[in-house]
Amino acid sequence: MTALNLNEDQQDCLQELINVAMGQASDQLARYLDTFVYLKVPSIEQVNAESLSTTLNTEEKGIAVVSQGFFGYEGIRGEALLVYQPKDSDRLADLLGYEPDELTVEEQIIDLSSILTTTFLNVFASQIDNQMSYSAPRLLSSGLHSVSDHLEQLSFNWDMALKVKISYQVTDYSFNCDMILLIPESAILNITTVIDRILDEF
Amino acid sequence: MSSSVLICDDSNLARKQVLRSLPEQWTVNVQTATNGAEALDILRTQEIDVLFLDLTMPVLDGLGVLQGLKDESIDCSVFVISADIQPEMQNKVLELGAKAFLRKPVQIDVLVNNLQQHGFI
Repeated sequence: MTALNLNEDQQDCLQELINVAMGQASDQLARYLDTFVYLKVPSIEQVNAESLSTTLNTEEKGIAVVSQGFFGYEGIRGEALLVYQPKDSDRLADLLGYEPDELTVEEQIIDLSSILTTTFLNVFASQIDNQMSYSAPRLLSSGLHSVSDHLEQLSFNWDMALKVKISYQVTDYSFNCDMILLIPESAILNITTVIDRILDEF
Repeated sequence: MSSSVLICDDSNLARKQVLRSLPEQWTVNVQTATNGAEALDILRTQEIDVLFLDLTMPVLDGLGVLQGLKDESIDCSVFVISADIQPEMQNKVLELGAKAFLRKPVQIDVLVNNLQQHGFI
């Protein structure tokens, strides 16, 4: 684990890149829902496969999860998980203002997740002169096993992953949604290279 | 005469970005703070002409600093530099007395324009 640890400057730089991306994603969310989104300082931690399952298990009981893969240049890639509490997913229909027969709740959750994920990652990528492409977003049926199974099916090596957790809190509706970016070991090394390049400029 | 400047941001990189963007012809004496509480401590005891202020920070956020300045009638020109670009947030900081809202990452020409507009350079 130590070999991959980001030093203080690298962590700070990554956090600032994430802050800027998070700000623009929440601006999109705020416009989409016509409300205000309260932002907190994001958390960044390194996890191994075992603790990843455990953290997802303890933190996100009875969840609805939308998963979307992202792929950039220079081997920067990973999986973005948008995690909703079940009580919130019921409220989404009201929030989004769709007519009941227009789209199912599931489709609405996928829509919203994709907006957040792609806005966030496009801004993140543009700051490091990169460009992302995305796989189609998938709603995983609730329950932890499906999340674990899903992660195992992905072709990444999850022995080690960077877990970036961002909470978007829609205050008017007391609705929360967490974005968890899982970045596999090989991609962390690539991101570290990019970060070092930015730090060298300062 | 030199201006006293305080840069408040929890990110070292962001503080450097602001510092790097200050125009050369502007004679300044720069201090830094890593959160809102640290900034307020400095603002209470020293005269600061210009504060560059981030919003999303631990301990005390940027809105807390603006409220503190208002409550304690501390006179200081505040330029908010934040990634939280929601229109509602921009209005909020201007209502609380900030001179301007600048989006992150800060662009040199935007910063210089704002300093010119408010007569600092």
